[in-house]
Amino acid sequence: MAAGLDRPQVVSHAQQALNYTLFDCKWVPRSARLLCLGSAARGSGLLQLYELRGGRLALLREIEKAKPLKCGTFGATSLQQRYFATGDFGGNLNIWNLEAPEIPVYSVKGHKEIINSIDGVGGLGIGEGAPEIVTGSRDGTVKVWDPRQKDMPVANMEPVQGESKRDCWTVAFGNAYNQEERVVCAGYDNGDIKLFDLKTMSLRWETNIKNGVCSVEFDRKDVNMNKLVATSLEGKFHVFDMRTQHPTKGFASVSEKAQKSTIWQVRHLPQNRDIFMTSGGAGSLHLWKYEYPSQRSKKDSEGAEMGVAGSLSLLQNVTLSTQPISSLDWSPDKKGLCVCGAFDQTVRVLIVTKLNKV
Amino acid sequence: MPVWLREHRWRQTASAVYLSLPVRGLRVTPANIFCTDRYLKVSIPPFLFEAILYAPIDDTNSTAKIGNGIIFFTLYKKEAAVWDSLTLANANKEKLQYLRENAVLKAHEKAKEETEAKKLTKQEHKKYALEATMKLEEAERKRIEDLKEKERQKVTKELELWKKQQDAAEKQKRVQKEGELHQEVEQLQEKKKEKNNKTSIPNEGTSETRIKATKGCRGSYSMFSENLKEEQLPAPRSAATIKINFTSRVFPTALRESRVAEEKEWLRKQAEARRTISTDLSELEDLKEEEKNPDWLKDKGNKMFATGNYLAAVNAYNLAVRLNNKLPLLYLNRAACHLKLRNLHKAIEDSSKALELLTPPVPDNENARVKAYVRRGTAFCQLELYTEGLQDYEAALKIDPKNKNIEKDAEKIRHLIQGTTQDC
Repeated sequence: MAAGLDRPQVVSHAQQALNYTLFDCKWVPRSARLLCLGSAARGSGLLQLYELRGGRLALLREIEKAKPLKCGTFGATSLQQRYFATGDFGGNLNIWNLEAPEIPVYSVKGHKEIINSIDGVGGLGIGEGAPEIVTGSRDGTVKVWDPRQKDMPVANMEPVQGESKRDCWTVAFGNAYNQEERVVCAGYDNGDIKLFDLKTMSLRWETNIKNGVCSVEFDRKDVNMNKLVATSLEGKFHVFDMRTQHPTKGFASVSEKAQKSTIWQVRHLPQNRDIFMTSGGAGSLHLWKYEYPSQRSKKDSEGAEMGVAGSLSLLQNVTLSTQPISSLDWSPDKKGLCVCGAFDQTVRVLIVTKLNKV
Repeated sequence: MPVWLREHRWRQTASAVYLSLPVRGLRVTPANIFCTDRYLKVSIPPFLFEAILYAPIDDTNSTAKIGNGIIFFTLYKKEAAVWDSLTLANANKEKLQYLRENAVLKAHEKAKEETEAKKLTKQEHKKYALEATMKLEEAERKRIEDLKEKERQKVTKELELWKKQQDAAEKQKRVQKEGELHQEVEQLQEKKKEKNNKTSIPNEGTSETRIKATKGCRGSYSMFSENLKEEQLPAPRSAATIKINFTSRVFPTALRESRVAEEKEWLRKQAEARRTISTDLSELEDLKEEEKNPDWLKDKGNKMFATGNYLAAVNAYNLAVRLNNKLPLLYLNRAACHLKLRNLHKAIEDSSKALELLTPPVPDNENARVKAYVRRGTAFCQLELYTEGLQDYEAALKIDPKNKNIEKDAEKIRHLIQGTTQDC
């Protein structure tokens, strides 16, 4: 029993029932406020700003937009401005100033179909280089935008002419450790994972994990790429060791089949990049720790370097709801504080304890 | 006839009777002794001792001690009285019988009662044990709950503390910012005065926009450091496009889209087809073993087709079909033979049968289906049924759009149709 209680516990702190479908929830950096976005029953988009007060969430502001909102990020904005970038069901990318949300600061109809996933890099005082936003859409393209350049993306990853397109379900930035280097990882619904190098504007690596990729995330955006977690349908997720790329075999990986249902999201703890949480289609959250192998790379028979994947251990799991938990975000300011939104129209604030002792 | 044991001696006190019964040389076990409250029997076949007791005794407490060659009974009387004799004197046969039966019955009842009592106590014990374990588990659960609750409270308190810190920090920064704004406004006013006298300072334009931008935000940076930061950001990337390919869709497509059900059905059909052998023994008796194998016959037919012996090929296929009428390839090949032999109607029939058997349509039987459509199309055209022919060619093209021959032929047919309609 003692060993069981030394493990991190997931404590439910506050929850709020909403009257709209919740697609994404994000903490506002440097505050105890969070943003929930989704689709109202009447087909419009809703953005709600809550503040954590006591054990409750208090609604501060509600903003309604024409199209339902699917995803959002604070990743490409400075800490003073804290502009929020959203992708909506109509393929529009907008950046909002939450103090004056009537007119977006930046707006572009980036895609022909719904923007499934968005990520930002270069903002919030993390990393170096120009702030950029990447969006992945159902039309099979992945586009990188610079808020200083109107209408045209700065990079466009699209299928070859005549190729039947696959939906892009998730995108993530990584490897942004200096001003030039940057990498975008995209996951598609047929199991493809592609890694694009934005410095050389080329495809650096691709692989296929058989099941549709629901979520990819690097453990840190602003360091030399270290680990990449990709989650997929049917309860499997893969952790790739991104330090050593073998010319033919690519990156080493370890995979785990944790839940019987789709793993919707993976999020790394901002304060410790070896701990991450996966959220599942059965309403459960699993907290994992990655342990590095004794040697991270070894030589294969031809003398080329190849990576060695480590091992995973499950720290804790908890079932919060019967519906899938579709969005998850750790607070960058308080270690262990996280918010998750599920399809049962509730947003929950959780605290994960004892992360210092892990 | 049992041997009666009559040499017994007895003495009594007010409350008990002591009876000693010699049983020289006999082995006595407790099973040999039978006692109820009015009747005592010791039966060691062939020896028998029985006594109808003068008065009732307490048979549960009475004891019998089996010693060497003697049994010593200690019978406790139910009523403290003095017995005239050990047994009832005037006991006639009937009474004896009755008493004996009674005794036996009583013994039975007693045994039953005892077992029932035992069962009851056992149940009670079990119940008690269950309740005890339940209580233990409940206590354990409660303990864990309490621990969790304590954690929760601790964590909530920490969160509140952190929040207060955040709020305090924000307030401070806001105050700081307002102070700075005042400063900046004053500086601007000074600079404006300067501008009226001197040339415009390049920073002015940017400083105005800087102030506009910091309105409503927390900014503790001074004007100059913000300018520098702006310059540090690299220019937007030059636009470029990366073209990508997706993993080709082979037989096992992306799992959630795989047409596994259809493909399984196709494979099952194939397997079944191989197994059905419509036996027509009377005619096939004189065939050799290999000639009864449809695959072998198909190969034979193919070889003969290759050498140009179309009639023989048709014969081979016919026999194969008789043996197994579910293999689509047989019909397909026979159609080709009929085409060569200009048996066009038969060719159409066979291609149609082949197409029927080639359902469900999966990537596996694409080639076969293309061939079937092409052959049927050719047959139609040779019968001058050009529209049907074109239909089949287009179906073949749909499956295999990259085949140049099919395209050329389809074009030819189209021209022909247009030519004939023009004539009319």
